[in-house]
Amino acid sequence: MKQLLAVALGVLTAIGGFLDIGDLVTSSVVGSRFGMALVWVIVLGVIGICVFAQMSGRVAAISGRATFEIIRERLGARMAVANLGASFLINLLTLTAEVGGVALALQLASSIEPTLWVPVAAFAVWLVIWRVKFSIMENVTGLLGLSLIVFAVAVFLLHPDWASLTGQAMSPSVPATETGATYWYYAIALFGSAMTPYEVFFFSSGGVEEKWTKKDLGQSRVNVLVGFPLGGILSIAIAACATIVLLPQGIQVTSLSQVALPVSEAGGKLAVAFVIVGMVAATFGATLETTLSSGYTIAQFFGWSWGKFRRPIKAARFHLVMILCLLFAIGVLATGADPVMITEYSVVFSAIALPLTYLPILLVANDKQYMGDEVNGRATNAVALAFLVIIVVASLAAIPLMIITGAGA
Amino acid sequence: MTANDEDDISLAPPDSYAGQVLDAQLHLLDRQVLDTDGVPVTTVDDLEITDIPIDEPLRGTPAPTIINILTGATLGTRIFGGRPPSSRLTRIPYRDIKDIGVVVTLGVDAEVLDASWPERWVRDHIIAHIPGGHHDPE
Amino acid sequence: MILSDLLTRPVIDAHGHSLGRVLDVRFVIDGAPGQLLAEARLAGLIISPRAATSFLGYERTDEKSPWLIASYLRWRHRGSFFVRWEDVDRLTSTRIVLARSYRKRSAALPD
Repeated sequence: MKQLLAVALGVLTAIGGFLDIGDLVTSSVVGSRFGMALVWVIVLGVIGICVFAQMSGRVAAISGRATFEIIRERLGARMAVANLGASFLINLLTLTAEVGGVALALQLASSIEPTLWVPVAAFAVWLVIWRVKFSIMENVTGLLGLSLIVFAVAVFLLHPDWASLTGQAMSPSVPATETGATYWYYAIALFGSAMTPYEVFFFSSGGVEEKWTKKDLGQSRVNVLVGFPLGGILSIAIAACATIVLLPQGIQVTSLSQVALPVSEAGGKLAVAFVIVGMVAATFGATLETTLSSGYTIAQFFGWSWGKFRRPIKAARFHLVMILCLLFAIGVLATGADPVMITEYSVVFSAIALPLTYLPILLVANDKQYMGDEVNGRATNAVALAFLVIIVVASLAAIPLMIITGAGA
Repeated sequence: MTANDEDDISLAPPDSYAGQVLDAQLHLLDRQVLDTDGVPVTTVDDLEITDIPIDEPLRGTPAPTIINILTGATLGTRIFGGRPPSSRLTRIPYRDIKDIGVVVTLGVDAEVLDASWPERWVRDHIIAHIPGGHHDPE
Repeated sequence: MILSDLLTRPVIDAHGHSLGRVLDVRFVIDGAPGQLLAEARLAGLIISPRAATSFLGYERTDEKSPWLIASYLRWRHRGSFFVRWEDVDRLTSTRIVLARSYRKRSAALPD
């Protein structure tokens, strides 16, 4: 019984933790512009993140090593420093977007300006990182994030034309109002938001933080293989809500209030309360994850002491990096930069950087020095290589498409 | 079993040795260095070996050996080129190494090493002054 | 001397013909006993006639997966070989000169 509870907790946390500002905004934007025609990308992205998150979790459990330590060891200093530069900057961009997301979500609840919420949110994130245990931090934000299930409920309450919704999803076509280029640009954005690299840095470092061993692999596999797809369904529900309500009225998603609009039409104030709690939890949780990821990547590259399982004074530079990153985010948002815009850029840049993260994980998962007998099987390698091809194509196509479409305008 | 059987035909078979074999790039460079308690200290940014005479026949001179792990400024020059002056090198003596596996483990405490002074500086001047930093997370 | 001074250095034979570059340096822990480990003695050099930088060492193991990547990297380093340190005649300021009687050995890592 106790074991079943632990499994359930893990899965629920994974569902709640799956969504972040990138998924919220991108799914909604895509639904409001393309209907269900890009849902297949969410499915593809979820399969991809399952394959690679599971792999990085396995590497962490068997070798006790986190992803970025391994990137440095296997790619050498020169390639790893280029990788670090790109990964770190994109992570910083995502971190800024997430802090902005917390502020926007709190604005929905309070009608206080988001710029005023930013320092409060950043300070709260720092306090949690400084003082709260890893497992508690993960479980609380994950479980509260489950409130976003209200998006799935809203789809039913809106009594949509199911045949038309599934038809759009099953035989996708580019809507008359959009071009092929914008369609593929948003396909890449959606793919990037599902497979954001920080999730892998965080997942593997988290495995080391919680001292996973071979025994914990079953649990982590269930979390990923059940939790992430269910999280992906929430992503699809957000897109469906936007398709049903925003698309016919031609409403553009420029802030989180448009993301929440369909839910308010479907379920009124109570439903909106759930959305707000869910959005705050999801973006707050993702801010924690991206902040920790920025510390993880830098500390692991340079071989510094890191981890929340140590007291802050035992991992001084790790904590200093995270403080500086949060200050950076506050600074950027203080200029009045729009968090939704930052999010849209961050998911595309994530897509560009994907190969840098996923290739080394695949290589190490095949390395007997680290993995012993637990190296990848043929089937996993075949799927992973196929994904790597998709990832590289998406990465190469991202910048040209960004230029052609004027960033999806 | 060798790497590429076809073109190995002309090659003599590989030497075998009594001791542990370490290819520097493959088994040493960029590896994590842990202290005797398992606390991360740094990475192996480069290695210092005994000097080899230049432009002189080497026959009869003993093979070079590793004397220090190098870290710090060496990383920058390894990536971007150039060479730091010997005085700027941060060294961890080879004799302090206890084990070389997937990680390099030292037989000494990180506190006594020059290589960990930046960690100590950040700790003593910044992190130690923030309340709560001395306790385990709850 | 630092190791980076040897890595990627051009290697020539006694007649001045180019053989490639130093891909890696092999050490063996079998020297004089030290405080904790025995001394790590430079046993020889791995030389690649093609690419100057090693990548993951696929040319030195029988690792075959993931297949596509393993076979590409092995192909890039085809023709790599090992020479014993005793077969090195001298170092000049820019090159490594092998002795007249040097012998190419397999670069494979012993099991």
